[in-house]
Amino acid sequence: MVELSPPALDSVFHALADPTRRAMLRSLAAGERNIGELAAPHAMSLAAASKHVKVLERAGLVRRRIMGRSHLCRIETRPLAAADDWLRFYQRLWSRSFDALDDILCEEPAPSARSDGESS
Amino acid sequence: MTDVVLETLRLTRRFDSPPERVFDAWLNPEVAARWLFTTPGSERHTTALDVRVGGAWKMTDRRDGVDYTALGEYRVIDRPRRLVFSFGMPQFSPEFAEVTVEFAPDGDGCLMTLSQDRVHTDSIGPLTAGWAAMFDALAGLVAAA
Repeated sequence: MVELSPPALDSVFHALADPTRRAMLRSLAAGERNIGELAAPHAMSLAAASKHVKVLERAGLVRRRIMGRSHLCRIETRPLAAADDWLRFYQRLWSRSFDALDDILCEEPAPSARSDGESS
Repeated sequence: MTDVVLETLRLTRRFDSPPERVFDAWLNPEVAARWLFTTPGSERHTTALDVRVGGAWKMTDRRDGVDYTALGEYRVIDRPRRLVFSFGMPQFSPEFAEVTVEFAPDGDGCLMTLSQDRVHTDSIGPLTAGWAAMFDALAGLVAAA
């Protein structure tokens, strides 16, 4: 299980909540990109793209290295794994709970409910 | 101060019971104790539900001799349409999430949708300042363990 502190996990979910940043991550998953390459598909200024990259950096999802005048960005997958762990944990918890609830509702029909005991 | 609420989890399930019955299963302590925050191998389960807006709820489940506690506060109780409560498991994390459960009639059954949001720490206002302090203390304890 990948552990991340709650504030760190908050910043990951915050970063992922924006469609532009998700698209940037998808692009980075294919390889390193500079800010211009990340901005290009979104018709946005370099400054605006840089802001998005900063949010991704703060969440630990992107590392930036400076090569001369170019800022090269690279994806970091560890925080994504932590976010995924979080989702899976609660998804399992609720799914199991709903299974149990379904059993209870089936075994004790309400007075107003259909009285046939057969499952259709 | 930004108020960032991040919906991170959404589950939908259909039940062969009307919304009223499914809704009540969350708030009736005898029924809730049998499915909510419990497991088939539970050795002991305690349920304390103060069912009113602002009321606290707490459920503890003992497994392999260890007590696991889930707790929170009711935010919206709109029978049989909508239930909103905060939810945390302090042993695992100092954070609290907000859970919204919606119940929609579906034929002679009910379509129940649960969404769980992480409430960004920035959005903790004066109302929950006490909780914020408690979370910080818990975070310290967790970090020290």
